[in-house]
Amino acid sequence: MAQPLVKKDDDRDDEAEYSPFLGIEKGAVLQEARVFNDPQLDPRRCSQVITKLLYLLNQGESFTKIEATEVFFAVTKLFQSRDIGLRRMVYLMIKELSPSADEVIIVTSSLMKDMNSKTDMYRANAIRVLCRITDGTLLTQIERYLKQAIVDKNPVVASAALVSGIHLLQTNPEVVKRWSNEVQEAVQSRAALVQFHALALLHQIRQNDRLAVSKLVTSLTRGNVRSPLAQCLLIRYTSQVIRESATSAQTGDRPFYDFLEGCLRHKAEMVIFEAARAITELSGVTSRELTPAITVLQLFLSSSKPVLRFAAVRTLNKVAMTHPMAVTNCNIDMESLISDQNRSIATLAITTLLKTGNESSVDRLMKQITNFMSDIADEFKIVVVEAIRSLCLKFPLKYRALMNFLSNILREEGGFDYKKAIVDSIVILIRDIPEAKESGLLHLCEFIEDCEFTYLSTQILHFLGDEGPKTSDPSKYIRYIYNRVHLENATVRAAAVSTLSKFGAMVDSLKPRIFVLLRRCLFDSDDEVRDRATLYINTLGGDGEVVETDKDVKTFLFGSLDIPLANLETSLKNYDPSEEPFDINSVPREIKSQPLAEKKAPGKKPTGLGAAPTGPPSTVDAYERLLSSIPEFSGFGKLFKSSAPVELTEAETEYAVNVVKHIFDGHVVFQYNCTNTIPEQLLENVNVVVDASEAEEFSEVARKPLSSLPYDSPGQTFVAFEKPDGVPAIGKFSNVLRFTVKEVDPTTGEAEDDGVEDEYQLEDLEVVAADYMMKVGVSNFRNAWESMGPDFERVDEYGLGPRDSLAEAVNAVISLLGMQPCEGTEVVPNNSRSHTCLLSGVYIGNVRVLVRLQFGIDGPKDVAMKLAVRSEDEAVSDAIHEIVASG
Amino acid sequence: MGLWDSLLNWLRSLFFKQEMELSLVGLQNAGKTSLVNSIATGGYNEDMIPTVGFNMKKVTKGNVTIKLWDLGGQRRFRTMWERYCRGVSAIVYVVDAADRDSVPISRSELHDLLTKPSLSGIPLLVLGNKIDKSEALSKQALVDQLGLESITDREVCCYMISCKDSVNIDIVIDWLIKHSKTAK
Repeated sequence: MAQPLVKKDDDRDDEAEYSPFLGIEKGAVLQEARVFNDPQLDPRRCSQVITKLLYLLNQGESFTKIEATEVFFAVTKLFQSRDIGLRRMVYLMIKELSPSADEVIIVTSSLMKDMNSKTDMYRANAIRVLCRITDGTLLTQIERYLKQAIVDKNPVVASAALVSGIHLLQTNPEVVKRWSNEVQEAVQSRAALVQFHALALLHQIRQNDRLAVSKLVTSLTRGNVRSPLAQCLLIRYTSQVIRESATSAQTGDRPFYDFLEGCLRHKAEMVIFEAARAITELSGVTSRELTPAITVLQLFLSSSKPVLRFAAVRTLNKVAMTHPMAVTNCNIDMESLISDQNRSIATLAITTLLKTGNESSVDRLMKQITNFMSDIADEFKIVVVEAIRSLCLKFPLKYRALMNFLSNILREEGGFDYKKAIVDSIVILIRDIPEAKESGLLHLCEFIEDCEFTYLSTQILHFLGDEGPKTSDPSKYIRYIYNRVHLENATVRAAAVSTLSKFGAMVDSLKPRIFVLLRRCLFDSDDEVRDRATLYINTLGGDGEVVETDKDVKTFLFGSLDIPLANLETSLKNYDPSEEPFDINSVPREIKSQPLAEKKAPGKKPTGLGAAPTGPPSTVDAYERLLSSIPEFSGFGKLFKSSAPVELTEAETEYAVNVVKHIFDGHVVFQYNCTNTIPEQLLENVNVVVDASEAEEFSEVARKPLSSLPYDSPGQTFVAFEKPDGVPAIGKFSNVLRFTVKEVDPTTGEAEDDGVEDEYQLEDLEVVAADYMMKVGVSNFRNAWESMGPDFERVDEYGLGPRDSLAEAVNAVISLLGMQPCEGTEVVPNNSRSHTCLLSGVYIGNVRVLVRLQFGIDGPKDVAMKLAVRSEDEAVSDAIHEIVASG
Repeated sequence: MGLWDSLLNWLRSLFFKQEMELSLVGLQNAGKTSLVNSIATGGYNEDMIPTVGFNMKKVTKGNVTIKLWDLGGQRRFRTMWERYCRGVSAIVYVVDAADRDSVPISRSELHDLLTKPSLSGIPLLVLGNKIDKSEALSKQALVDQLGLESITDREVCCYMISCKDSVNIDIVIDWLIKHSKTAK
């Protein structure tokens, strides 16, 4: 038993030899643990044994239940010793063993005694251990002592109680919430650590109550937080409050900004940095707000402490993505950081410079990067790659140098994430810079010749299949692709077969040669590869002649499925092999409402290969097909527009419902996508009862209930309304989900016979003017504007009142009208006093509309707007003005 | 002079110091923790909270240091009694003599405990507590009902005591001290 472990240690460096823990072995230590049972205890020796046990546990050694229980009871015997050092080890040991040993509850009484002892060390640690082993019933017994401990004079004791409270909040929230008063008192403590822990606990207790958090922040930002750590926490909570209130407070200064700015002058560097970072992360931060934060970060850049330099340059790096201009002041300081000994700092500095630099400095910077690329870790290499990518998009003329750089690093060693970042970047460059296409594709081809990652190989092959046939000389890629069929694993071989056939289908001249290659694939050892080859040969017409491939065949083979793959997968899993073939039309088309996590991380990153090509037209097509298949709605005519799904429930509720508004000329159809998230329930006769009393022009004409809604498989129910033809009627609808709920036995999956009627309140839904406007862009606004002519031009001026910023006003008007901004005019440059925004769209009744908005802002932030509308119909031009006037 | 005396005492205690370890077991509310307090300080307190787990107490009587493991009597702790009885000088089993209904349970728990092989030969002292109450059993009745006569593999002794009125606590201490000498 002992041999292998010791041997392993010997293999390691000489360093390990100096470790006092060398050669500690479980069996021997468990033997040693018998000293705990000696009648004459030797505290020093016992402490040593516990140290070894703790070492083993922390090395990942696992004790069996019997071993853990045995050790645990032996350790409890040590409560007889009064040695303070040993008692401390006992506490630690019990904490470590508490999850694995039975009966840890036996030490409760002893801990309660210690909790009321005169020795502060006993009190503090006993509280920590007790909270770890206690359960709900015992907790109420000790609650009184814990409350006392929170306001204990000794900061160590108070901190222990507060931290325990943070842990207990997870399991027994209702008990901990009763301690609010004591915790509040502890926030005022003079001891730094107590204040820090108390603030954290207080925030945790109130975290679900937005108003209470806001109050907490308001009262504490007035000063009297002494601990720098607590101050940092407060800054974080403050920015949370700012984030949440920003949407509601349209006017006036940003709340709490003064507090954040004040923190920039704090004594502690920690606080200064936290405040600076908080400011840079404010949503829609203005350059005036940003300046003081950047100034302190600039000071940090020349600090002697590496950690400060790192923190500052990392933050600046982030700022550079959104506000490159604000960072340019720091460029000189960052240039000197390129030679910093710390590679992490140097990397961040150089990538920041890449983001803020101008075209002329690119070459110089690239040279410097190449020098140290091999010294840094993969994750920093990814940062560099991402910086290069955005740089290349910014200066397309420099693509040659940058593409070379990318292909060079692609050849070097690296992990999957790093390689994926490079490949993604190359793909994005190929997409966005047409000149880079040919060289980029060749780089990718070279890469897959020696690529160890199946995922990347298949993705690149797929991409080659899409882009390769459109190049000037498609034939040169064939060799690379066909090599895959010889050299790679089955997954890659199958992908290569698909790519080959894409070339065959798209490039008629290559077809005969492709077929020769495909026929060889028919003898592959893997059946998926053979299946694909057979399918392609037969559908593409493999009789060796040069024939044009049918368009239908192309869409069948290479078009995207218009149903969500996840739904297809569940449907296929549920399909029982029988006489009846699987019907693809039975697959639900609606995408499940996304889980919360995904929503929180907005898709800011440019997506590379992984991006699913689901553009808006395909979803509209899918909706149209879906609606026309329902007889009740088939007479409504052509679908004009379908909105994006609007969530009608909070995330993580029992039933998740979102709604899509389908607009027809004379009708509106609400499509409610429902998901049942309770495994023990089956819902039947699911129906949404809509109260349209606040939408006078609408009257309900049809509805389609959902007969059954099992757990976790989305279903749809529809309600249709009639409205005056071609009129953009607006209104508010309140919704109630009504259904019969049946209990389901989770083990058998069978539902009970009897159900109970129930209903579930949903959020209100509004039909607004923007729903009648389709976003349709024009490539050349001026031409379109001129050709439309001034016949039905309507011009008027509006005062928009005080606004936060010009950009905010512009966005408000765009979302009110629901039109497509053209030529990037939705972006307002910082500090500009006026702005022109161009919008285009199609109004209900298929009327083209063009809008020219001219904004101006004056001293007290009053925004005025001149709205010029041109359309093919006078009434529509007026309607647009009405929308703005009433909005 | 006094200094001399204490110095002599200290020296003597170094040579004649005795240690003993005891386990106190018995059903809940039998008076185990009260007994510990009686032995240690002679005090008595009406309001006692149930012992959750165990209490450890060291008491010095004369030149004997007694380590007392006072164990909780609730059902969930009874299986753990044995662990704290291993290797002790004596097991003290406390019975509430005034709670006649619980005596049969007390009897079965006691006999269960004594069958454990790890505890064979350890002397047993049975204490009938709460004789200050009028309904308390007599000593003979308690001995009969607990079936103490049937225990033959070890020394067994039974006293009737009252922690509240400090009755017979002194003879308990004497018995214990006597056994500390024979223990080793």
